Amino acid sequence: MEMFLTVLGALNVGFVQTLKLFVTTLLGALPLGLVISFGSMSSFKPLRCLTRFFVWVIRGTPLMLQLIVIYYGPGTITGRSPWPAGEAGRFLAAAIMFIINYSCYFSEIYRGGIQSVPVGQQEAGLVLGLTRRQIFFKVTLLQMVKRIVPPMSNEIITLVKDTSLARIISFQEVIWAGQAFMKTSHGYSGLVWPLFFTGIYYLIFSGLMTLLLGALEKKLDYFR
Amino acid sequence: MALLEVSHIEKHFGQTKVLSDISFSLDQGQSLAIIGSSGSGKTTLLRCLNFLETPTSGTISVGGAVIFDAAQPAAQREEELRQKRLHFGLVFQSFNLFPQYTALQNVTLALHLRDEKGARREEIDRAGMELLEKMGLADRAAHYPHQLSGGQQQRVAIARALALKPDVLCFDEPTSALDPELTGEVLKVIRALGQQHTTMIIVTHEMAFARDVADQVIFMDGGVIVEQGPAREVIEAPREERTRQFLAHYAET
Repeated sequence: MEMFLTVLGALNVGFVQTLKLFVTTLLGALPLGLVISFGSMSSFKPLRCLTRFFVWVIRGTPLMLQLIVIYYGPGTITGRSPWPAGEAGRFLAAAIMFIINYSCYFSEIYRGGIQSVPVGQQEAGLVLGLTRRQIFFKVTLLQMVKRIVPPMSNEIITLVKDTSLARIISFQEVIWAGQAFMKTSHGYSGLVWPLFFTGIYYLIFSGLMTLLLGALEKKLDYFR
Repeated sequence: MALLEVSHIEKHFGQTKVLSDISFSLDQGQSLAIIGSSGSGKTTLLRCLNFLETPTSGTISVGGAVIFDAAQPAAQREEELRQKRLHFGLVFQSFNLFPQYTALQNVTLALHLRDEKGARREEIDRAGMELLEKMGLADRAAHYPHQLSGGQQQRVAIARALALKPDVLCFDEPTSALDPELTGEVLKVIRALGQQHTTMIIVTHEMAFARDVADQVIFMDGGVIVEQGPAREVIEAPREERTRQFLAHYAET
């Protein structure tokens, strides 16, 4: 029992780091994705091409590789790592890479959502004398949000689990904390089950997310 | 003097000329019906008046002031067009109500957005309710568009356009998307507007309606005005052969 509580305590510490990365990524990627989606829909061709090229590169390479490149790359090239020492630096690097990576995925979902709102909605706004900004925020946005909740739920659930990739740059999230018991951690050695047990954390958390997003979907059910 | 003066409007889409040398005028309180087969340019003309399309050449004047001149692109900046298009209201074939707002909110949204400080909030809501009453929809004010029938939705759309008090109210085939039994209620509302001397331009396929409600009729074919004149004359005794063919075809179906 004492062992169980010790392991649970250690995993909780790791899971707080997992949550930190998850929340930071969402806070950064949700708005940044919208900016990128505007870039990829821009009528200014160079900007549109550049944005789509960037999205292709980010979506076309593994997030794990991106994490390695952003964390070790600059140091390897210049001989001095720009990241702060220790856990703070690993978190910063991971958060930046996760935000960039996820905003690229989000941008495509936003683009699909915006483009699926009938053009008549925009025209109706125009003939009523609304500005482009008013049309986006007062007419298009909520209709887009309604359409993108299901694909967004998918991405968000994936993000819950993808945070474990930060393990590759030794970010001390829950998998790292579980794996530590296989060697030695908190006075115990050679324990395998803590690593298996981390699965429970992901299950519970993604379950909560599913409920939350389901509630949002329901809330937007009042219009079609 | 004419309230609306449209002269020598042309519109090209790439190489295709969809409107050529369109000129007409409309007096205050009069209504004009535009008839013609699909692809004749009727809808494009209406969209030009509302600046959803920019005419390639020509001018549009309202109340004696030129509000659009294709020769002066400098005066076609977005912000200016936004103000100028308020001379016109537009009712779409497919209603285009905003689904996330109730009937009343659809009618009042644009006014509320202009009333930034919220000083006129109640006044705007009252005016919106009055318009819905006028459309026979007072009991539907709190309904969302998907809870309304097509005819009811189109009447909300008419109220929404009227709320901004446009000089000229345009209708783009207002009943084409409706089941036959629902067209009557919409036509009745437009007819009532005509009796109250609302200045209107109506693109329609309802010939009897055009004849009874409109003062003037324009028949368009292939992007040009083939014939224009008093409604009864054009529809009952057309001068041009093409108009006769078109109307004969309609009488058959």
